[in-house]
Amino acid sequence: MAGKPGTTPTTYSPSPTTQKTRRPIFNENDVDWVRPDGRGFHQCRPAFFRTGAVNAASGSAYAEFGNTKVIVSVFGPRESKKAMMYSDIGRLNCSVSHTTFATPVRGQGSEHKDFSSMLHKSLEGAIILETFPKTTVDVFALVLESGGSDLPVVISCASLALADAGILMHDLVASVSLSCLGKNLVIDPILEEESYQDGGLLITCMPSRYEVTQLTVTGEWSTPKINEGMQLCLDACSKLAKIMRSCLKEATSTSQE
Amino acid sequence: MVGLSLGEEHFIQGGIAQDLCSDGWKRLTYSPIYVETGVIPQANGSARISLGETDVISSVKAELGRPSLLQPDKGKVAIHVDCSPTAAPMFEGRGGEELSTELSVALLCCLLGAKSGAGAGIDLSSLIVVMGKICWDLYINCLYKQNFATVIGDC
Repeated sequence: MAGKPGTTPTTYSPSPTTQKTRRPIFNENDVDWVRPDGRGFHQCRPAFFRTGAVNAASGSAYAEFGNTKVIVSVFGPRESKKAMMYSDIGRLNCSVSHTTFATPVRGQGSEHKDFSSMLHKSLEGAIILETFPKTTVDVFALVLESGGSDLPVVISCASLALADAGILMHDLVASVSLSCLGKNLVIDPILEEESYQDGGLLITCMPSRYEVTQLTVTGEWSTPKINEGMQLCLDACSKLAKIMRSCLKEATSTSQE
Repeated sequence: MVGLSLGEEHFIQGGIAQDLCSDGWKRLTYSPIYVETGVIPQANGSARISLGETDVISSVKAELGRPSLLQPDKGKVAIHVDCSPTAAPMFEGRGGEELSTELSVALLCCLLGAKSGAGAGIDLSSLIVVMGKICWDLYINCLYKQNFATVIGDC
């Protein structure tokens, strides 16, 4: 990562929750459990973003969160296909694909066919479609390596690519996911943690407006856990958006030099 | 999605304020539900549900197969939701594919729970016949025939 030595790595870990009793680090079952990469339960992986990764695209971004590596290209606004009906607002077309070597077992990326429609749902609330009528904006995401928490990284990276392409949006979209393992909530799970999770929570929000564009809850959850999980994720999202903003500012300042 | 004019929006909002939906039901009442099982004799199990105007037929076929190498003590379940053009003309050809993928994935989450198996509707370990060699493969197919509203609930 192109960071100056001595600076803290950019991370978007949420503020620790104020609790009267300290959360036990180890699982209450007799198995001692530490996260495989040594992070705390509420600690996120360091986030790395770079815009302008693809020259041929209108806008692009590359994101690397631990072992999850994603590249997103945005093409557009360009002419809609002639077969499409006239529309006085713009169209958003999203496609997420995995490389065959993205997963430990070859070809498992095709299990996530719903990522494209989920990316679409998370972005359509943020993009101001009225600014590009009759045209289509294509967002193509490619997951180079799947290291856990793929969809949130894809969404955040796509939002950065859209900003790089100059598509007008209400706000940057940041996304964070959370896993429930037994009684513990772990934020930004890696692949191994996701495969053992009892429940998953994904939040995509526009932090400056404090608006959630997408919330996906799977598995078994109790109400207090969901509340706690949502607070953690929203906090992490706002910190992630700050990192995304600083990446965009850095890109424009280097291009001005 | 249908575009609504301002007048139509106010009409619906006003109705809801008076505890009336546009189809005549109260806000909190359910449309009548009809459930019928055994509608497809060739399948191992089948059901037809209609909730108001929504109509869904689903069938389950069980076949013997090999368990996956990664999980030799569990059977397999495959779900497919088919959106027929009789429900809406936009489902013709590949139009219904996106909705179909979304519904299939959502149903898979409901029935199989989270990755660890918590909150699952089907216990996959009960589908094993001989560990590592033979297991039941369940193929669940749903055909969604009419209207939008509560498809996922029906399936």
